[in-house]
Amino acid sequence: MSARLRKILLWAAALVALFLVPHVVEDRYFMHIVVMAGIFTILTLSWNLLAGYTGQLNLGHAAFYGIGAYTSAILAMQTGLSPWLGLFAGGLVAAFFGLLLGFPALRLSGPYLAITTIGFAEILRLVAMNWVDLTRGSLGLSGVPLLTPIKIGDFTMQFYFERDYYYVVVAAVLFTLFCIRRLIGSEFGVTLQAMRDDEAGAQSIGINPSSYKLAVFTISAFFAGFAGGLFAHFARLVSPELLALHNTFDVLTMTMIGGLGTIAGPILGAVTLTFLSEALRYMEEVIKIDIRLIVYGLLLILTILFMREGLVGVIKNSWARMKGGR
Amino acid sequence: MVPVMDSLFLQQVLNGLITGSVYSLIAIGLTMIFGVMKISNFAQGDYSMVGAYTAVFVMAWVGGWLGWVGSVLAAAAVVGLLGVVTERLVFRPLMTRWTDIDMIMVSIGLFILLENLAQLFFGATPRMIDDPFGGRTINLGVASTSLLRLFCFVFAGVAIACLELFLNRSRMGVAIRATSQNRFAAQLMGIDINQVYRLTFGVGALLAGVGGVLYGTLFAIYPMMGALPTLKAFAVTILGGMGNIRGAIWGGLILGVAEALGGNYIAMEYKQAIGFFIIILVLLVKPSGLFGRKEGA
Amino acid sequence: MLNIENLKVAYGKAVALHDVSMRVEEGELVTLLGSNGAGKSTLLKTISGVNRALAGRILWKGQEIQNQPSHVVVNQGIIQVPEGRAVFPDLSVAENLRMGAFTRRDEDGVASDLEEVFELFPRLKERRQQLAGTLSGGEAQMLAIARGLLAAPKLLMLDEPSLGLAPVLREAIYRVIQQIYQEKGITILLVEQNARWALKVATRAYILENGRITMEDTGAALAANPDVQRAYLGH
Repeated sequence: MSARLRKILLWAAALVALFLVPHVVEDRYFMHIVVMAGIFTILTLSWNLLAGYTGQLNLGHAAFYGIGAYTSAILAMQTGLSPWLGLFAGGLVAAFFGLLLGFPALRLSGPYLAITTIGFAEILRLVAMNWVDLTRGSLGLSGVPLLTPIKIGDFTMQFYFERDYYYVVVAAVLFTLFCIRRLIGSEFGVTLQAMRDDEAGAQSIGINPSSYKLAVFTISAFFAGFAGGLFAHFARLVSPELLALHNTFDVLTMTMIGGLGTIAGPILGAVTLTFLSEALRYMEEVIKIDIRLIVYGLLLILTILFMREGLVGVIKNSWARMKGGR
Repeated sequence: MVPVMDSLFLQQVLNGLITGSVYSLIAIGLTMIFGVMKISNFAQGDYSMVGAYTAVFVMAWVGGWLGWVGSVLAAAAVVGLLGVVTERLVFRPLMTRWTDIDMIMVSIGLFILLENLAQLFFGATPRMIDDPFGGRTINLGVASTSLLRLFCFVFAGVAIACLELFLNRSRMGVAIRATSQNRFAAQLMGIDINQVYRLTFGVGALLAGVGGVLYGTLFAIYPMMGALPTLKAFAVTILGGMGNIRGAIWGGLILGVAEALGGNYIAMEYKQAIGFFIIILVLLVKPSGLFGRKEGA
Repeated sequence: MLNIENLKVAYGKAVALHDVSMRVEEGELVTLLGSNGAGKSTLLKTISGVNRALAGRILWKGQEIQNQPSHVVVNQGIIQVPEGRAVFPDLSVAENLRMGAFTRRDEDGVASDLEEVFELFPRLKERRQQLAGTLSGGEAQMLAIARGLLAAPKLLMLDEPSLGLAPVLREAIYRVIQQIYQEKGITILLVEQNARWALKVATRAYILENGRITMEDTGAALAANPDVQRAYLGH
């Protein structure tokens, strides 16, 4: 069987499996977790695009998430815009802010960039808390409309239950994956990797790193905003908390543990840690203490010290060792 | 604190100087660590948090001003030790395989770990440090403040003076300065670089710990309190120039006063954002900071 | 005193020194010549314990010191005056000198050595409170050498002391080095690009090319060698 055929079959099998999940699992809470894992996957994939492929550490990623959520929610509630369009509107507004942040980011690196991005998110969070007329401040916006039903012929798809959102999120993740893979594989992506490996060399052959970095910032922000919109119409509550630093830290931890700079890494990290987080929450009932974030912090440290390539790296190495052993 | 209406401005400046001196203290540790090891320690504020909690426990045991002074010394010892331990376990292994991302990430991991361990052990309820002077105020003519706050300022000053003495007069202190200026040459002098790292982190953490006691005296103490001082310490360090200790001293005072005045005259809600505005402004205009050399950000 | 056997040093995959062997006997002034990139600085850095040796041995008075931490090597009395001066720019001249004596515990010895060094370099004495970053190139080089002397070296290694200096200053530095050698009898390993003078004062000399020792002889013999003359003496 050719490699290409095998790949297509694998994808098909995965898609079928994904499609069947809600038919096998009935538990609504479980579906809820899966949807959140999906949203986090989009966040990690978009953060990873920036950090893993251009080396820019954006510690204000949650701001794009929050902006997307607020935009979509406000547009739906104030202007009656279809939430489906709101998702893209949220992405676009977030992308605009991404461009805004991208400019000063060009001149900064390392800790300076990190701090500026944190400041960016914090300022926006304070705006969300204090611009009460628009955002209702720390109360947040509740009662955000659900995704509106889709009619195809006689068939109407409602979006009320978690399993309905599951399909939307899976589609969104696949859409994000598709876009990112196309991007990485295209000439743009190849140039990006050349830049990452040797910026001076890339410049010497006429590549302008600035426009690439700006583009990636914007694209990264778009997907984060899109994820924010999804969250808004799923959880139906948007608050300034969405822009808080600890959300970015969650995304960052998931990406690093999964494996920075790869495509599978962010997915693995987001899914694993979302489920791990739930497992720990469940354990909390038994052992009576909340150790979720302690585990997060510890895992992050241990990953950087001992398994820098993340879970993806561990899997790759084990696979190679198994193959070599034979 | 009794505001005197016709000299409200000076009152705010005094308040700002006092808070600012605490910022300076915490920032000096951060800038030292950056200057010598090029590490941006995002967990610096958590060192302060541990210092603050040390004070809570010491003062529960020994009250009054004796307890307060004792807690400053205890915090110095406890957090200094914590600094040495975290340097050896978390940061030293990465010194030989350096990337900016790794260093920042690992200190973020430490930050998450420490503040959640604190939550686990101490609970989320905020604590306060009782005023050992019983709320007595002192009038300095143009403005007034509580005796406790004045003592904070004095202590911060004493700590900074001790540091200057250490860095200028002691053998290892000068060695630390030398290492931050040229690591290779420092090695050629027979300076044990690992010892320098250990000492730098220990002193940097110690200062943050003492700063934490002072910070906890002025504000509430709770497990997540470390985030703000960390960010403000970064603001101060960037303002003063990364690695520049004099710059950190001045930067802290400037930030404190800017916050006090800005919070009062512009908008109270955005008071905390003033630090960030300053960072962004400085980075856009003069990335090497007000006192920094043009080494490039 | 110093014996290097089959030393191999690499930066990642790039091998900088292949199988280098040489020695410096007590009381000698050994010159190491080589063009840019030959590996001279790498060799000194490896002796000083700053670089790792992949293979081979470095013996000091019969003891193996390769891959020992740098402060251990310095404590043995092996002192390097690095290329490009490498003074501490924000420390004063006096503080720089005190850093040179970092490993010494004999306060009196340091004090008297300081006197001698100021006699040797009166300009430094004038500028003792000045920040080293404000010194001129020549003064900085003098500071670097003085700093090295304050460590009471048993072996003094100088990496291109005349590099980047005007001819007049170069002469001054050479005179000082010669004075140090003849008056104090300190064993010296001198790495230079300026071959003429370096071969003249040398007891023995080596040529390092592309990470390998290609020639070894007395200073005079190498100076008379036509290949050396063509490559390094510009004949």
